Amino acid sequence: MKGRCVAVGAALMVLLPACGVIRGDDDRGGGVRAPGVTAEPCPSAVDRKKGCIYLGTVSDLTSGPFAALAVPITDAQKAFWARVNKAGGIGGTYEVDVTTYVRDNKYNPEVHRQVYNEIKDRVLALAQTLGSPTTAAILGDLKTNGIVAAPASWTSAWEFEDVIVESGSNYCVEAMNSVDYAMEAHRPRSVMAVHLAGDYGADAAAGAKIAAERNGLTFTDVETPPGATEQGRAITEITKRRPDLVILTTGPADAATIVGQAAAAGFRGRFIGTGPTWNPALLKSPAAPALKALYEQSSPGRPWNAETPGHRAMREALPGVTPNDGYTSGWAWAYPMKAALEAMVAGGDVSRKGLLAAVKKLRTVDYEGMLPPEAGNYADDPNTATFRQTIVNRVDDKAPTGVTIVKDFSVGPTARAYTFDGPCFAKL
Amino acid sequence: MKGLLEAVIRGLGNGSVYALLALGFVIIYKATRVISFAQPALMLAGGVAVSHLAGTTGFYAAVPLAALLVAGVALGVERAAIRPMVGRPAFVVAIITLGVDVVVRVVVNAFIGRDVRQVGDPWGFAQVELGPLVVQQRWLAMLAVTAALVALLFAFFRYTRYGLAMRAAAHDQETALAQGISVGAVFALSWAIAGFLAAVAGAFAGTGQGIEQSTWVIALKALPAIIVGGLDSLGGAVAGGLVVGVVESLFQSYQGEYAPWLGQNFAVVSPYVVMLVVLLVRPYGLFGTREVERV
Repeated sequence: MKGRCVAVGAALMVLLPACGVIRGDDDRGGGVRAPGVTAEPCPSAVDRKKGCIYLGTVSDLTSGPFAALAVPITDAQKAFWARVNKAGGIGGTYEVDVTTYVRDNKYNPEVHRQVYNEIKDRVLALAQTLGSPTTAAILGDLKTNGIVAAPASWTSAWEFEDVIVESGSNYCVEAMNSVDYAMEAHRPRSVMAVHLAGDYGADAAAGAKIAAERNGLTFTDVETPPGATEQGRAITEITKRRPDLVILTTGPADAATIVGQAAAAGFRGRFIGTGPTWNPALLKSPAAPALKALYEQSSPGRPWNAETPGHRAMREALPGVTPNDGYTSGWAWAYPMKAALEAMVAGGDVSRKGLLAAVKKLRTVDYEGMLPPEAGNYADDPNTATFRQTIVNRVDDKAPTGVTIVKDFSVGPTARAYTFDGPCFAKL
Repeated sequence: MKGLLEAVIRGLGNGSVYALLALGFVIIYKATRVISFAQPALMLAGGVAVSHLAGTTGFYAAVPLAALLVAGVALGVERAAIRPMVGRPAFVVAIITLGVDVVVRVVVNAFIGRDVRQVGDPWGFAQVELGPLVVQQRWLAMLAVTAALVALLFAFFRYTRYGLAMRAAAHDQETALAQGISVGAVFALSWAIAGFLAAVAGAFAGTGQGIEQSTWVIALKALPAIIVGGLDSLGGAVAGGLVVGVVESLFQSYQGEYAPWLGQNFAVVSPYVVMLVVLLVRPYGLFGTREVERV
């Protein structure tokens, strides 16, 4: 009997928090003005006379493949909004809370949808929804309820969604610019896209294909599964076909395995990986010499140590952290939400509808120099609004995040001429 | 031909890791009639322990130390979670091992952190020439260590008192008990050996590419290996592991060229296809014991 009581007790301890019963997700009923907006101050308010706007975060915080990026992204956004609150909040009447409704998606679309449903009635908008397939799992609900969300991903599909406030060029543009950059820097005659399935990998592969066709290069498409031990086929394809340029769209460990083993097998072509293929920890891996010799990273934004007012503010707000460009991305992604919230409060309609209307009027956003202002265009049609400038970095073990810029913000001829009439990954 | 042989050696190297894991599965199964799903967590624990120890002791000392450490963990798991379930249906105990796997992985993940951890192996992606063949040194190292461990293990079962006790208990637990053999000790020893082997497998799985939280997935490839070889055959586990490694490597190298209609990543499912084919032809595996049901 005693054992049974212990078992029942243990089961309740597991189940009740899962149901949100003893997690502290108490409904902040008093003074609710709109979903996620209260007249009461935020739990850790700087000025207790101001109301509170709650923003949710659904990110890969523990065991998913992008946790090494997602945790710094989330921490940077907490620091970003703390800085906003200290500086007077939004319109002098509200502060922003991004710490109460933070959930882990484990980079699993089903988990993402589940935890999003837990918090969606308690937040005005999402400060972060990490991942392309995960965000796609909640996109229908975001659109139905008019919930604005800042994505932590760069798929071209977001250019066509009103509720998504993306910052920086998408993977498709990034790959186009990478191929065009390589045409100047490395003069390739053949391109291979090695990529994960889905709208992360396939988006970049489609961009590489479009740029290869425009530049008259032969193109090969190699889809590879995630996991460092699963890259045997990708490595075989590279070493057999010997393309002059490989556009990589994988996780960092996969990228290191592919570059390291291909180089060990005598491959001397060039690799350009999209932003998420890099992690400073790769400098300690056996692939480091090959990465230094053959790999460059394309990126939608400048790295941690760039000298812009936004980068400086970020570094001041995050003292003592190990530099990581997850912080840089997370910080930069928060500017459009701030601009939209300010416009919403100024317009007087503090609601989801008011926020969406404010987003649709944004033609530029002040990123404090981290991105050009036109990167925050959500008012024009997708083809006009799509931001098309990217950066190319090289591996540099003296740089704080292991990379330094070799080509600053620029747009290649392919991306400049391309007409965005739908998500790129559908055209692969 | 050169490419084929190189692909086979790569497959044998990776297959060695699967073989060590498969041996652990089979040893526990023979002793307890339970398939332990905790092997992935023990493998991960081994790789992570090596990554922490190698900085201090060097890779060569870290591997046996980590293996002993994980063997101790496996002993503890057996004593705390498995032994109290003796006499319960094997299905129930198997489900408990699933829970053990999750718990151990959660703990081990805390020692991994968010970045990839390197195990500090001396090979990296370095290669060596074997006549006309060029192969990675780490694959040869995996193969050599696995061969040595398998030889030691077979000698242990053949020539030692404890090995004999384990064989007797595997054959008939009640008779073994009647002859004064401690079946509980046999259970414990089987878990410790499985933990030791899984840890070595984990260390080698981390060579070159490092260990991350998702590395445990590799251990699932030992499941088709034990089905192919036969659930209760030690030799079958080794053969099954090597077969799975070679089949996977050959599909990675040649399927795109000769059977592109199978899709881009058929190599990922190839071990399971081999498993299904073997199950259709020999339901008890290539070397498994044919069970006779008397009704």
